[in-house]
Amino acid sequence: MATVTIRNVWKYYGQTPAVKDLNVTCPDGSFVSILGPSGCGKSSTMRMIAGLEHISAGDILFDNQRINDLAPKDRDVAMVFENYALYPHKTVFENIANPLRLRGTADATIKERVTGAARLLEIAHLLERRPHELSGGQKQRVAIGRAIVREPKLFLFDEPIAHLDAKLRAHMRGEIKHLQRNLGTTMIYVTHDQLEALSMADFIAVMHDGELQQWGTPSEIFNKPVNAWVAGFVGEPAMNFLTCDLKRRGDDVVLSHHNFDIPLLPGQVRQLNGAAQAGIARMGVRPDAMTVSMTKPSEAAIQGEIFVNELLGGDMLVEVQLADSRIRVKTTPEFEGKPGEICYLTVNRDKWHVFDAGDGHAYF
Amino acid sequence: MTETLTGIDMSVRAPEDRFRARKVSTEVEARPLSAALPPPGRLNPAARKAYYFYLMAPAIALLAFISLYPFFWLIVMAFQKGDMGAVEWVGFKNFIDLASDDRFLSGWVLLFRYSAMCLFLQVSIGVLLAVVVNGSRYERFLVTALLMPMMMAPAVAGLLWLFLYNGTFGWYHWIFHSLGLLGSGSILSSAKTAMYAIVLVDVWQWTPLITLIALAGLKRVPRDQIEANMVDGASPFRNFFAIVLPNLYPVLLIAVLLRFMDNFRFIDHILVLTGGGPANATKILPVYLFEVAFKFFDLGRGAAIALVLLVVTIILGKILVGVFDRPTAGGR
Ligand SMILES: Nc1ncnc2c1ncn2[C@@H]1O[C@H](COP(=O)(O)OP(=O)(O)O)[C@@H](O)[C@H]1O
Ligand SMILES: [Mg+2]
Repeated sequence: MATVTIRNVWKYYGQTPAVKDLNVTCPDGSFVSILGPSGCGKSSTMRMIAGLEHISAGDILFDNQRINDLAPKDRDVAMVFENYALYPHKTVFENIANPLRLRGTADATIKERVTGAARLLEIAHLLERRPHELSGGQKQRVAIGRAIVREPKLFLFDEPIAHLDAKLRAHMRGEIKHLQRNLGTTMIYVTHDQLEALSMADFIAVMHDGELQQWGTPSEIFNKPVNAWVAGFVGEPAMNFLTCDLKRRGDDVVLSHHNFDIPLLPGQVRQLNGAAQAGIARMGVRPDAMTVSMTKPSEAAIQGEIFVNELLGGDMLVEVQLADSRIRVKTTPEFEGKPGEICYLTVNRDKWHVFDAGDGHAYF
Repeated sequence: MTETLTGIDMSVRAPEDRFRARKVSTEVEARPLSAALPPPGRLNPAARKAYYFYLMAPAIALLAFISLYPFFWLIVMAFQKGDMGAVEWVGFKNFIDLASDDRFLSGWVLLFRYSAMCLFLQVSIGVLLAVVVNGSRYERFLVTALLMPMMMAPAVAGLLWLFLYNGTFGWYHWIFHSLGLLGSGSILSSAKTAMYAIVLVDVWQWTPLITLIALAGLKRVPRDQIEANMVDGASPFRNFFAIVLPNLYPVLLIAVLLRFMDNFRFIDHILVLTGGGPANATKILPVYLFEVAFKFFDLGRGAAIALVLLVVTIILGKILVGVFDRPTAGGR
C-alpha cells in the first residue's frame, strides 16, 4: 500500500506534450480513477507510474520515495493492460503465477496463491487452458488474477473492461470495486467511461488534452464541475448548454434567452463576480434537473416545442426545440406530450450551472 | 425488370432500385441480402478448372524442363553404372557400395560437424546482432552494411578469404601467428584449423541473413507482453528469454531451415579455399559428391550420393519443423 504523489509531471513524445504539468495525490488505500476521452494522456500517465515510459519532467513518489529512476520491476506495482497482454505460450496458471515465479516464490506458495486468486475470480476451472482458448471476459479475469496474485504497493488498471460487452462490464465494475475494498490496496484505474469512474472511484481525476481539469469525489465531479468541459463530459445523457445573456433587473440578475428569462437565486448572484453580471454566459442544466409539463407553470419556465420523445426503459427523454438549439429533459414514460406540441420546462435552480462564455470556468 | 421482388432480382438491381424495393416490400427486408444471392459456387462453371490449367501450363512446362526432368534423370542414373557413353543397369549396387565407402561415411560426419558449428554460431551471433541493431539510431545504416557480405558471390567470398588466410601475406594468418595460436603451418594447410576456417567464412557471409530475419521477427514481438513481464518483475535479461525468444522461434525456424539446407548444398567457398583438404579434413559430403561426379566422372555413384543427401535433407527438415512447431513455441 502506498500514497502516490504525482508532482508537476510532464510527458513529451518528441515535441508534442501528452501530459502537461500533472499534479495529483492518491491517498493510501484509495480507489482513484483517471477519467478522460481517448488520447488525453491517461495511458501515458499510467505508464509513467509503472516505469514503462520515461518521465519527461516532474516527480512521481510512492510514500515520499521518488521512483522516477526505478526500473519497473523494482516499483512493486501490478498492472492490468487494456488488451490484457497475456503470455500466449503459457497456461492460465503460469500466466497468473508469473509475478511470483519472477520473485522466486516457493512452489507450494505459488500454487496456493494462484488457486486462491483463481477461485476469487471464478476461473479455477480454466487454469490449464491457454489464453487463446478463453473468451474476452475470461482473459480479462486472468489479467486481473496476475495483478492480485501478490500484494503490490499499487494497482494500475488501464481500461481493463473497455472491451467487454455491456452486461459483463456492469458485472465487472462491481467485482473490481469489491476486490479493491477487500484488499485495501491503492488503485489507479484509467477509463474513458464516466459511468465507470462515477460508480467505482473514491476520487476522480478528470483529464482533457493532457491537462488535469478537476480532482474530486464522484459527487463533486458530478454536482460541482469546475468548468463547462467537465460538466459536458460527465453525466449521461449529457448536460444541456445554452448561450444566454446575463441581465441586471432591479436587485435580481436574470439569465435571458430567446425562450426564457429566469432569475438567479440570491446566493448565486453573489457567486458571479461583479464583472460577469452583465454579458454573455453559458447556462448548463442536466436533463434530470428540469421538469417538463404541457401546461404553463406559475414560475418562470422555458417554452419550447417537443421535437421527439425517446423511451429509455424506465425513463422518457424529451428533446425540446428552442429558438437556436435543442435541449433534452428526462421525465417519466407517462408523459403524454406529442412531437410538435408546445411544452414548458421548469429548471431546478439549485442544480443549474453558469459558465463563463470565454474560458468556460464555472461560476456555480 | 419485373415488379415482383424475388430474391434473384434483388441481386441484379441497381443500388437505387434496391433501396426502393426495400421501402416497398417488408418481406424482402426481413431476409439478409446474402440469402438472395445464388451461392458463389454456381457462378464457376466446371470449365474454369481447365482454364486455370491452361494459364499455368507454360510455367509448369518450364518447371518440368529445368527441374523435374533432371531430377528424374538423377534417379535413373543412380541405378546405372555411368561412364560417359556406355550405360549399364546395376540395380542397387551404387547404394550398397556407399555403405563401405569410408569417404562417404566420414563425409557425413564432417558435414554434420560443419553444419552444426555454422548454425550454432550464425543463430547466436545473428540474434545478438539483431537485438543490438534493433531500435538503434543507426539501424538503417547498419542493415545496409550487414547486407554486403550476402551480396557477394560465395566463390568470390572464398577468394577474398583465401587472401586473408594466406600463409605469407594473409592478414588473419599474421594475427593468429602473432597471438601464438597457430603452429608453423598456415591456417588452411593444417587439418586442425581448416574446418574452423571454412566455418568462419560461412558465418561471415550468412550471419547477416539470420540477423535480418531475426530483426523482422523482433519487430513483431508484442510490446505489451514485454511490458507486462517487466511490471511482473522481470529483468531485461529474463525478459529476453521468457518473451522475446519464444516469439522469435517461428522466424528462427525459417532461418535455420534455410541455412541448414544451404550448408548441404553450397560448397563454393570450400572448393576455393581447401578443395576438401588438407587430408580430407574439410571433405564434407557435398564436396565428396562433387569430386566423385565431376572429377572422377563416376556419375552413377554421384547420383546415388546426391539422392541419399536429398532424402536426409528432407527428413531433417521435417524433424526441424516438428521441433520448432511445438504449441509452446510462441505464436497465437
Ligand atoms: N509512443 C508514443 N509516441 C508518440 N505519441 C504517443 C505515444 N503514445 C501516446 N502518444 C500520444 O499521446 C497522446 C496521449 O496518449 P495516451 O496516453 O495513450 O492517451 P489515452 O490513454 O488517454 O487514450 C495521444 O495524442 C497519443 O497519440
Ligand atoms: Mg489509453
